[in-house]
Formats: sequence, C-alpha cells, structure tokens
Amino acid sequence: MKKVLKQLIKDKFSLIALIVLIVIYTALLFADFIAPYTKDFSDRDLSYVPPSPIFTINEKGHFSRPYTYNYKREFDPNLLETTYKLDRSHKYYIKFFSQGMPYKVFGFIPMKRHLVTVENEGRLYLLGGDINGRDVFSRLLFGGRISMTIGFLALFVLFPIGLLYGGISGYFGGKVDVLMMRFAEAVMSIPSFYLLIILAAILPPNMTSVQRFILIVIILALIGWAGFARVVRGMVLSIKTQEFVESAKSIGLSNMKIILQHILPQTTSYVIVAMTLSVPGYILSESGLSFLGLGIQQPDASWGNMLKEAQEYSNILYRPWLLTPGFLIFVAVLSFNLIGDTIRDILDPKSKMR
Amino acid sequence: MKRVIYIFLIIFLVLLFLKACIRKDIPEQKPANTQNINQRTEFTYPKRAKTITLNGIDYLQSQAPVGNFGGEVILSIFGEGPKTFNPFTSKDATSSQMAGMMFDGLFTTDAKTGEVIPKLAKSYEIKGNNYYVYLRKGIKWSDGKAITADDVIFTWQDIIFAGLGNTSLRDSCMIEGKLPVITKVDDYTVKFTLSRPFAPFLRQLSAEIAPKHAFENAVKKGAKYFDGFYSTTTPPDKFVTSGAFKLKEYIPAQRIVFVKNPDYYEVNTKNEKLPYLNKVVYLIVGDANNEILKFEAKEIDLISLKGSNVAIYKQKEPSSDYKIYNLGPDTGTMFIVLNLNNRKNPDGKYYVQPEKQFWFKDKNFRYAIDYAIDRDNMVQNIANGLAEPLFTAESLNSIFLNENIKGHKRDIDVSREYLTQSGFFYNKNGKLFDKYGNNVEFDLYTNAGNIERESLGVMVKQDLEDLGMKVNFKPIEFNTLVNKMVNTLDWDMILMGLTGSPLEPHNGKNVWNSYGSLHLFNQRLEKTSFDDRLDFEKELDEIFDKASLETNFEARKALYNKYQQIVYDEKPIIYLYSPTRIVAVRKKIKNIYPSMLNGVMYNIEEIYVDK
Repeated sequence: MKKVLKQLIKDKFSLIALIVLIVIYTALLFADFIAPYTKDFSDRDLSYVPPSPIFTINEKGHFSRPYTYNYKREFDPNLLETTYKLDRSHKYYIKFFSQGMPYKVFGFIPMKRHLVTVENEGRLYLLGGDINGRDVFSRLLFGGRISMTIGFLALFVLFPIGLLYGGISGYFGGKVDVLMMRFAEAVMSIPSFYLLIILAAILPPNMTSVQRFILIVIILALIGWAGFARVVRGMVLSIKTQEFVESAKSIGLSNMKIILQHILPQTTSYVIVAMTLSVPGYILSESGLSFLGLGIQQPDASWGNMLKEAQEYSNILYRPWLLTPGFLIFVAVLSFNLIGDTIRDILDPKSKMR
Repeated sequence: MKRVIYIFLIIFLVLLFLKACIRKDIPEQKPANTQNINQRTEFTYPKRAKTITLNGIDYLQSQAPVGNFGGEVILSIFGEGPKTFNPFTSKDATSSQMAGMMFDGLFTTDAKTGEVIPKLAKSYEIKGNNYYVYLRKGIKWSDGKAITADDVIFTWQDIIFAGLGNTSLRDSCMIEGKLPVITKVDDYTVKFTLSRPFAPFLRQLSAEIAPKHAFENAVKKGAKYFDGFYSTTTPPDKFVTSGAFKLKEYIPAQRIVFVKNPDYYEVNTKNEKLPYLNKVVYLIVGDANNEILKFEAKEIDLISLKGSNVAIYKQKEPSSDYKIYNLGPDTGTMFIVLNLNNRKNPDGKYYVQPEKQFWFKDKNFRYAIDYAIDRDNMVQNIANGLAEPLFTAESLNSIFLNENIKGHKRDIDVSREYLTQSGFFYNKNGKLFDKYGNNVEFDLYTNAGNIERESLGVMVKQDLEDLGMKVNFKPIEFNTLVNKMVNTLDWDMILMGLTGSPLEPHNGKNVWNSYGSLHLFNQRLEKTSFDDRLDFEKELDEIFDKASLETNFEARKALYNKYQQIVYDEKPIIYLYSPTRIVAVRKKIKNIYPSMLNGVMYNIEEIYVDK
C-alpha cells in the first residue's frame, strides 16, 4: 500500500489530482466553518446578485483592509430590467475568524466562527446569488457534501455484493455458476433509467429528498453489482486453479474461508481500480438525476440541481457564476479518473502495454 | 533548467493571485437608458372587417391597410407537434391551433373588445331562444364545393352533438341535459333553438365547420374510424378545408408547412383576394432555450419572451430587426391550493389527516397564509418583474375581472393576528401549534423540473416558516402530482398554474363546480350520498348555473364579480401572480395588431411581409 501511495505522489498528474481532491474534501468537511452563510439563508433582495467585489485599494488610491460594498437592487419599471448597483455609502470590512451565523460542527458542537464574514448588515456573496437570493458559494460547499459522498455510499453496497457473488459463482463453477451468472445477467438487463422514473413515483413522499436520493443510489447499486460480479468471477476462475488454493483445500479449510481469505484478496488490485473509477460515475449520475428532477430537490442543494438553474439561456450568458457547480463536477471527476488510471498502472504494469 | 521554469511558473501564479486581490475602488458609470416597455403597447386596430358582395359572392372585406402579396412567415410551436389535424378530435393545444389554421369557424372574437364577430357566417340574429345564423353566399371549400347550411348542420348534428371525437364542446352545450335543436331554414340560413337562454352559446358557435362531402363517410364508419380521420398521416392534398391556408407538408418533429388558399373568402379594401402570404411555416422546437436560439439565428419571426430575456432583447431592439410588444397580463395564473377535503378514502382512512383538516378548513388559517405570501418579491425575483400580483380567480386580462378586488401587501402581523384569533400559539422556539397542541406541519408539492415553480415553492416555504409553520416542500414528478390531485387526493398544499379563458368564465366551471373534474380544493371522486358541499361551494355552484343562463353582459358580470369575491373571501385557492406576455416580432412583418385576447397571429390572412 505504501508503495502505491509513493508512486501516486511520484506521478505529477495524480499528485495534482490527489491534492485537488484533498482540498475539496477538507473544504466539504469544514463547510460550516468555511461558508459565510448557512445552506438556506436567503436575502430576497439579492436574487441573481453578481459576486461581491472585494477592494483592497480604496477610492483615494491607498491600500486598505479588504472591504466590500453591498449590492442594491434597482428595478427599472420602464425597461423591466433588474440591475444591481454597488451601494457605496457604507464599506463593509472583511473579517477573518470572526463571529457569524450560528452552526454546529459535525452536527453537535455549536459554533459561530467563520473563516470569512463581513459586518452584520453586509453581504459577502463570493460567487453571487441564485434565484432565491441564496449564496452560491455556501450552497456549493453544502451541496458538495451530497454530490461527493454519494458515490462512496454506492460503493459500500455494490462491492461486497459483487465480490461475494462473483467469488462464490467462480469458485464452485458448474451448475451453480451457470445459474448465478444467468441471474446476474437478468439483473444487468433491468433498464435503470425507467426503474428510476417509476421509483420516483412510488417512493413515499414523506421522505426528505436526501433520504430519497440515498435510497435511489442504493437501489442503483443493487442493480449495478452484476457487471462487477462477472469480472470477479472470471478472475476467481483462474485463481482457483493455482497451487495455494489446492493446498488450502487439502488441509481442509471450509469453502467460504477459502473464498474470503485466499481467493478474494487476490483480486484487490482490480477492486481498488474499479472503485476509484466508479466514484466519478456516481458523481455524474447524481448531477444527471438532479438535473432531470429525480435526484436532490430544492431547497436542498447538490451540484446537479444547482447546475440545473444555469441551463436557461440568459443565465448562461449573463450569470456565469451559476455554472461553478459544473466546473467543480468536472474537476472532481477528472481527478478521480486520473488517480484511478495511475493506480491501475501501478498495480497492473502489464496493462500499460496497450 | 526545468527547475527555473517551475520557479517562474510559481512566481507568475503568485503574482496573478496578488493582482486578483488588489482591486481599485472606482465608481462605475452606466449610461442612462430611456426606453420604455412596461406600458402595454397601444394599438390602433383597423376597423372591423365587413361583408361586401361582389359578383354574387359575399366576401369578408378586411379593413386593415393594403399590403403586398407573397413571402412567408416562420413561427414556432413547442413540444412534439400536432397529434391530429382534425379539429373535432383534437385534445391538445397544438393540434387545435393547427386545425384552426385550416378550418374557419362561423364566428370569431374581436381582438379589441372580445365580442363575437362573424367569420365564415355573414351575420347572426337572436330572436328569443332562436339563434339564426346567415351564411355567406358563393364561398367555397378548398376543393371548389360550396359551403352551405348542410355543412353547418352536419357538423353540429352528426359530429359535435353525436359525440364523435372530443366531447367537451357537446358537454358544455348541454343545458339541463338538453342539446340545442338545429333546423335548416334555407340553403344559407340555420336556426339553433335552445331550451333556455344560454349565454356562452354564441361563442360556442365559433367552433370549426367541417365539409359534409368529405367527412360524411368517416362519420358513417363510426367513432373509432373518425378518431383517426384527418390525422397527421393523411396526405396533405386529401384535406378539404376552409381556412386561409392549406396544409402542404408535415414532417414530424420538424415542421408544418401551410400554403395560401387561393380561393379564400376574404378580400382587402382594393378587393384583392387575401391572404397576402404564400406560406406559413411552423417549426417544432423542443423548449424555450431552443426557441431563443432559433430566433437569434433568424430562423423564426416571432417569439414570446420571458424573464430576463426581455431586458436583453429590449436593449438590442433599436439596432435589431424586431419590435417588442407588451400585450399585458397573460391568461395564466400561479397559485397555491389547500386541500379542504374532509372525506375518507375507500379504505376508511381520511384523505387529509384530521388535525390538518381542522387547520385548512379554518378561514383564519387561510387568511394567515394569504397575508404571509410575499407576492412582490415573487414577481421581482422569479418573474423578473414581468408579472403582476394576482388576487382574483379570473386572470387580469379577463373581460369579467372584478376590479374591486384590490388585494393587499404582505403583512406578517396581520397573519399572526388571524392565527391567534383561532387559538394558534407559539412555543418559545417560535414554532406554531394549534389550540389542541399539534405542531403545524404540512407538505407542499409542485412538479419537479420547473425552475419557476421550484423557486416559488422555496419562497412560499420561507414565507410560511416566518409564521412558525413547518412546510415540507417536495417537488415531485409531474404525473405523480396529477395523480395525487385527481385520484389519490393525499396532499396538503400544492403550488400549480392554470390557464383560463379571458372571455368566458364558464370554461372554469370544471374547477369551481363542486363536482367538477378539476375541483382542486375539494375534489369529489364520485357523487357523495349526501350533500356535503361547503356553504361557499353551494353559492359558487348557483352562481355558475345562473350566470350561464343570463344573456345580458352586465348581469353576467355582476354574477361573476360575486364569484371572484367569494373566492377571494374564502381563499380555498391563494393566487400568487399572473405573468405578462411580451413578444418580439420581426419588423418586416406588417399588419400586426396583437391583443391579449387573441394573441399575435390571429389575423394571419391580413399579415404581409414588407419588401
């Protein structure tokens, strides 16, 4: 394992990817502290407000502590146009590590300190506001918690099932194998998209959208293990003919023990690679499902449903800050793929000669 | 060497970062803009078309300015395109619109006043319960056969009253279970005899007329065959039509092309035969974004603008080739509705939990919600200022709008007062409890995937949470929502929109009648064994029955005013806003007299393209 990590760091691309992911996950972990606002905080006068400008040189041309102005919404009833102008009558200095909106660290330690805040009446929307006047930057962090963890959740369901199923099927072979594999194929042929649409209709509506989405992901994983199980079975078929399996058999180990302790550990390298490479798939499917309205719903945030808001023509053109979740999805998925590729190269040098 | 490059790169990045941090505070200046769009565009409509007789043919003479012939107009429609071209079987808006292009009705609506004016018919006369319709002499179907009283009688008797195709028109013509009796007076006169005076009838006569010789066989073959008759697979040259345009081709999911009917019965003031245009093309576009791109690429000539696009287009207008018209409030309404249902489902369980029933049936509770809603910010944030707060059941452009209902601003203190009056109280965390100690918590549904409604839902939730209520806002898939509304009835509050008719409140009967098919706030799935209508429901039922039998406009208006007042007083449905309709039309297209009642392209035969 140490060797793998060493080689990961040696590879420039995977090093960058690793750093990016660490930064993202740390930011998500401490989202309450880093975000200036809570997930649901909204200021209705700031719908679609542009990002707050931060000034370090004041109007007289001197250096100053960083400060910002509030935006003032002006609606021109003749043009039917909403414009935001800086209200230059009051400067709001940016404060670091100071008191702000109350929150609970990890859900139980009450705290009020935030990384950056402004004075009470000020509004610091680092990445602008959305249609309801909520801070996009804060929502990005809270939304990321869902988007970036949902993949791992699926993995914890998918991999144990796939490993065990493939292991048993490959080890016993014969009729058991045939039966189990046909069943796996049947599971594979369930059309997942239609299943999701039906699920969206029949799931009890009194679940919160996060609960509902977790359930959807688990169900996706429950039908997604079959492909993985087939690969594992193939590997087990070749592993079981090796001498150490024969010797384990000859000293009278039980079948289950042989599978779990001797055969499956041999598939580790493949499993690690498959895991890293399937996380981005789930991140993407979260954004896809939320985009279609099947995933996380308002007022909860996720990168997918935040991105949905940006799909309008005028939003793409005139409110580019709404596209930031898309950028983060791109970065996160790319990083996972880079790391997955590197790990594969390390664990399985033969596949390099493609 | 490599190291040097790295160091340079890092220094460069750091400098870039520092540059980004240093920002000078310089006041910006924006040029003042003086255009005005908020006012509804005023039109001087041309005089109403009149009938003139030339060589024994009763032409309709358009009074609009004379234009030049030729050219084409390209329009767009949303969705999947028409399902049929048969006006009698169509059940969706697109199909009806396309059928309306091909078939004319006896009457149409005046764009300015909303009155019923003759189209295919020459004139009408009402004598007591008898409606005499006089037809034009000498006008023809597109295959050259004359349009006569037989066609009118055939259409009404054998198609509409026989219940072929879409039966909604027949159902709404039914007066106390009886249909009007139709008699032929002569070849160009038809008499409709009603059992009682029935106000909406004249407007119902605007329905399209079918050619008897072309439809007769299909009608004889029965309802099933008729449903597939004049469908989208019928070859275009097989259609016998009466409209200004004939179908040329229909390519599914792409376009519908109409060409000029050279034998149309309308002429201009120089007595030249209309229409001016050679071709009208409808492009089928997937969604609003697609439509905007098509308009930008000059592929279509007309577009309805929404939200922030208006300001963008308005800015570009002076240097562009289009003109923007503000038609005023649209027929659409956005509202939240409470479930006042107090019945049990077949399994013996209440559709709505009993403690919730207690809240919802409490008028003070509904008032509290109404006063807590921040309509001004909804209009501002979600409709981009392109809407008006709405308090009435009729849309703002309705000719029956009750103008005495003025509405109110958001006032959370008034809300709280209403709640305390009914014994609701707060605990120390600011949560709301009813007088029996139940925490006020309910679900709010809307259809997922609609940004406008989802954002509205978020706002409603926040507004009501200011009152201490806990609102679980759940956008769900559209079909599930509809199923909840009309079948399972297990919902508390829904955020929805409906489109009404600005001319005929009677069309809203399915919502307001206690047994209506869309009686949202108290849906009855079947007739209940005893009369469990609420007092105001009874009143509304009476008003709608009375108003449909009343023929005097003023008297009808008084009745419909009362219905709007009752809805406003009782608040089973709490209206939010009504969007404004703004369209952009290419300048080259002339004789455009948009009206909120008829839209933009209603006078397609008078429209021409400037050369």
